[in-house]
Amino acid sequence: MIRVSHLHKSFRVHRREAGWFEAVRHLWRRDYRIVEAVKDVSFTIEKGEIVGFLGPNGAGKTTTMKMLAGLLHPTSGEITVGGVVPFEQKPEFKKMMSLVMGQKSQLIWDIPPMETFLVNKAIYDIDDRAFRQTLEELTELLDLAPLLDKPTRSLSLGQRMRCELAAALLHRPRVLFLDEPTIGLDVHTQENVRRFIVDYNREHETTILLTSHYMGDVAALCDRVMIINYGRLIYDGELSVLTEKLAPYKRLEVRFSRLPKMNWSEYGEVAEVEEGAVVLRVARETAAETAARLLQQFEVRDINIEDPPLEEVIARAFQEEHV
Amino acid sequence: MIRKYIALLRMKYIEMLAYRLATFVWMTGAITQPLITMFVWMNIHPEESESFVFYFMAVIFVERMTSAWDVWELDREIREGTFSNLLLRPLHPIHWAIAENIVYKWLFLVILVPVWTVGAAFWPALRPHMTGSQIGWFLLAVVLGAALRFLLSYSCGLLAFWVTKVAAVYGVIDVISLFLSGRIAPLELLPPRLQEWSEWLPFRYMISFPIEIATGAADGGELVRGFAIAGGWMVVLTAALQWLWRAGMRKNQAVGG
Repeated sequence: MIRVSHLHKSFRVHRREAGWFEAVRHLWRRDYRIVEAVKDVSFTIEKGEIVGFLGPNGAGKTTTMKMLAGLLHPTSGEITVGGVVPFEQKPEFKKMMSLVMGQKSQLIWDIPPMETFLVNKAIYDIDDRAFRQTLEELTELLDLAPLLDKPTRSLSLGQRMRCELAAALLHRPRVLFLDEPTIGLDVHTQENVRRFIVDYNREHETTILLTSHYMGDVAALCDRVMIINYGRLIYDGELSVLTEKLAPYKRLEVRFSRLPKMNWSEYGEVAEVEEGAVVLRVARETAAETAARLLQQFEVRDINIEDPPLEEVIARAFQEEHV
Repeated sequence: MIRKYIALLRMKYIEMLAYRLATFVWMTGAITQPLITMFVWMNIHPEESESFVFYFMAVIFVERMTSAWDVWELDREIREGTFSNLLLRPLHPIHWAIAENIVYKWLFLVILVPVWTVGAAFWPALRPHMTGSQIGWFLLAVVLGAALRFLLSYSCGLLAFWVTKVAAVYGVIDVISLFLSGRIAPLELLPPRLQEWSEWLPFRYMISFPIEIATGAADGGELVRGFAIAGGWMVVLTAALQWLWRAGMRKNQAVGG
């Protein structure tokens, strides 16, 4: 569905140091430098896949996504989405995809969301029946009924995001680019939006590329992740493989009635010691055995073996040149 | 396309109703300058008061009907990144601007025509003496003027892909047009050199030309010549807009997000 090969994007930005003198100097002399935002990125995404696109701020995620959506012209390289070149901005391409940016609203600000929906209906050539049907479905799934006739500006962030998703999906895009769709939402709404995305993907086989800073989103939605850093793709593969590779340990959380005073490092790397509990990092292979030993040797109240938190894995990935 | 325009016009109409106060201020604010200028000229040449009254009332009407604010909109939309939302949709963003122009100018028309009619009932100086064909040419010239101003304003707005705060550039053009379009004084009162320039530049055809048709100052050969030059500028500005659009799309950084 999405094919990207050797994609590059560089920007010419002018550089200016702070200060009055610099400001004046810059009136007649500007220093430019080339910033390579995306370097030689290649990947393919098949129909119906949900792929998480991760990277620290400024890594090139949004730039790549904007090129995929046809907003930015690649410096070099090739992109096709559904067989079409995005940058040609053909109506057939635009009708096939949607880009949702958590920080940018496509809803018209001072009038109710329903008005944006009606404009989209006309612009995307959606016929009456399909429109009614889709809107009904989305209204139910996203609980939009009480929101449709309030001016957009008076909606809360979570309410607006739900309307934003609806506006983006009215024309039933086959490809969906979601840039930080849950940013700023409370935990409950995040959960709702995630569930909606999963259901929608399953039902319509929509291809979804998603960026997010919330690992909860990634864990809940994506089997496959791509990690980009300094404009380069450093990992593309299954999330579970990444975890095994970068964090080849388990977290062993052991609770005691009274914490025995002793050197825990013979059991594993000590991550935390708190009142009555110790958290150890133990190699995957020996986790079960270590747990058994602990249970045998101490009076353990509770023991918990789990994968390291995804935040930790991703933070490690961001530090690597290549994964 | 008609369906799309109906939807856009409806939406822009509802949006305009949400901005009632702002719309009212734009409407009345734009009337102040020509009114003051009118009183200044009436003070300088009291013997020609009546023709100044008609001229500046016509300036108010034509200026409102041809006004263009697209440069400020584009400047903001491109700089803040909201322009991307229009680009993502399968309809050229220019249609949103055209629809907005139609809605607001329709409102101006609905307000200004009755006001003029009532005014003319009490004030003979406001009564136009136009033949049927003169009215037709006048209306055509107003539409052409509106198109020229729109094209210039939108083209300038597209410069926002290269420069930030592009409205300042338009400000300079606006000052030139203040003199050469006939907003500050009828063009016949300008020095001969400037008068000559004004004939070849597009500004005259944005305001003064329709009024000249209404007063009968431009008829016959002058009428044909005027429409020919205005038509030429239409072609030039349309080509400029298309070129700027294509170049701008390559330059677009789709900021924000």
